[in-house]
Order: sequence, then C-alpha cells, then structure tokens
Amino acid sequence: MPRGKLPYYSVALGALLLLWGSTWGLFFAPAETYMGDVQRIMYVHVPTAWNGMLALTIAFFFAVLSLWKGGLDWDARLEGALEVGVVLCTLLCMQGAIWAKPTWGVWWDWDPRLTTTAVLVFAFGGILALRQFVDDPVKRATWSAVAAIIAFADVPIVYFSVRWWNSLHQVQSTPATVSRAFHWPLRINAFGILFLMSGLIAVRARLAALRREDELAPPLPAAVPHGASLAQGVRP
Amino acid sequence: MNEGVIQGGWPFVWAAYAVTTLILTGYATSVFLRYRSLRQKREQVKP
Repeated sequence: MPRGKLPYYSVALGALLLLWGSTWGLFFAPAETYMGDVQRIMYVHVPTAWNGMLALTIAFFFAVLSLWKGGLDWDARLEGALEVGVVLCTLLCMQGAIWAKPTWGVWWDWDPRLTTTAVLVFAFGGILALRQFVDDPVKRATWSAVAAIIAFADVPIVYFSVRWWNSLHQVQSTPATVSRAFHWPLRINAFGILFLMSGLIAVRARLAALRREDELAPPLPAAVPHGASLAQGVRP
Repeated sequence: MNEGVIQGGWPFVWAAYAVTTLILTGYATSVFLRYRSLRQKREQVKP
C-alpha cells in the first residue's frame, strides 16, 4: 500500500465503520430504559467527545515537539490536529445541545461540563484565528505552540468536571457506566471517528506543510506582459 | 403508555445524526479539496 495514500484509506475505513456502527445503534440496539430512543444520540456523541479530546491531546504533543525539536514540520502537524480537534469539539457541542433539549428541556445550560467544553472550543479556535494574523512562520509556530500548551490545561478539566462539580451532565461514559447492550455500536463508531480523525489530521498537516513551503520559497520573478520588451523598462 | 420514558425522541436522533454527517462530510471534503487545489496550483507553477 503506498504510504502517501494511507490517510485516504484511513478516512474511507472510518466512514465505513461509522456507517456500520450507526446502523447498529439506530436500528438494532435496544432503547434505553428511561431516555428511550433519544439515547441513540450517544453512539455519535460519545465517540465524538473521545476523539475530539484525543485530537487536542495530539495537538498538545505536537506543540511540545514543535518547541523542543524546532522545525516547521511539527507546526504543520500541530495546525492539522488543532483544526480537526476544534471541528470535532464544535460538533460535540451541537450534538449535546440536540440531546439536551428532550432530556433537560433546554438546548444549553451553563453547567460545568458544557461551560468548560465551550471554553475549550473558543480557546483552541482562538489559536487557529491567531495564526492567521502572524506573518512570520517561525513566530507563528512558537506562539501557537505555547498557546496550545496553555489551552490544553482545559482538557482534563472538561473530563473530570462531571466528578469535581455538581453537573446536569452524566458521568463519563465507560464500559463500567454503559450497559453491555450498547457497547458494540459505541466501540465501532469510536474506531470509525478515530480512523477518520487520523486521516484528516494527516491530510490537513500535509496541506499546512505545502503552504509553509510556499511561504518560505523565494518569490517568482514578475511576469513580462505580452508584447512588452525589456527595453521599455518593464524589467530592470 | 410508557411512564417515565422520554417520548418522541426520534426527530432529535435524526437531527443529531444529520448534523454529524453534514459536518464530518463537509469538513473532510473541504480538507481534500483545499489540498488538491494547492497541489494542482504548485504543479502549474513548476518550471
């Protein structure tokens, strides 16, 4: 298998697994005792949460490596992981709001889990926005790595928020807290989003690396307009 | 009558799966298109 195509295969495998797990969760898994069919949202919500947190944890390690080893390759990988992590966490908030309405009666509540997750989206989204305003690639790499390391402090807070404070949100979904009948669709979708996330981070990092090469490349000579001659003073 | 069970949850379930499909498909397409377009642009510029 050509190594360059690996991210594409990863994304395709992820999509297939998601289709399989979601079909199982929607049509074959039993309804939950109290939440009924609404609980089926769990099969996409929980894997999105796990993988969103994982993508931001990967971004944290890329940020550390970017500062430690230097070089803009780690920064390209950091950009990939940051963007995918922010997309997954934004999706997580949207799925959560849709699940909250029928169960809590509101789309949003300033509960510790929801608030810390919103902070996470804005902190990492802010880093992506900040990157657009820094022209120097080296400064951009350093600043965004430092900012990503600081913002990462919120990831364990999000995870433990349901244990540390009184929260409307249920405790973490693990094999110990979820009925055995729900395990397989949950696992399949978790691996589905994992493969999707890995492939997308890899392609997004390649895109960032190509952009960086273009930024650092010497400017091309200006084109001579058709019909103009050097004697006319178009080019020195 | 199922007392104590949330009724009428399916529209929310479909909405959650639709949003998930839309965002994941849309984002993946955007990443692939941006990458392909940049590669094509670079190949055109190559001497």
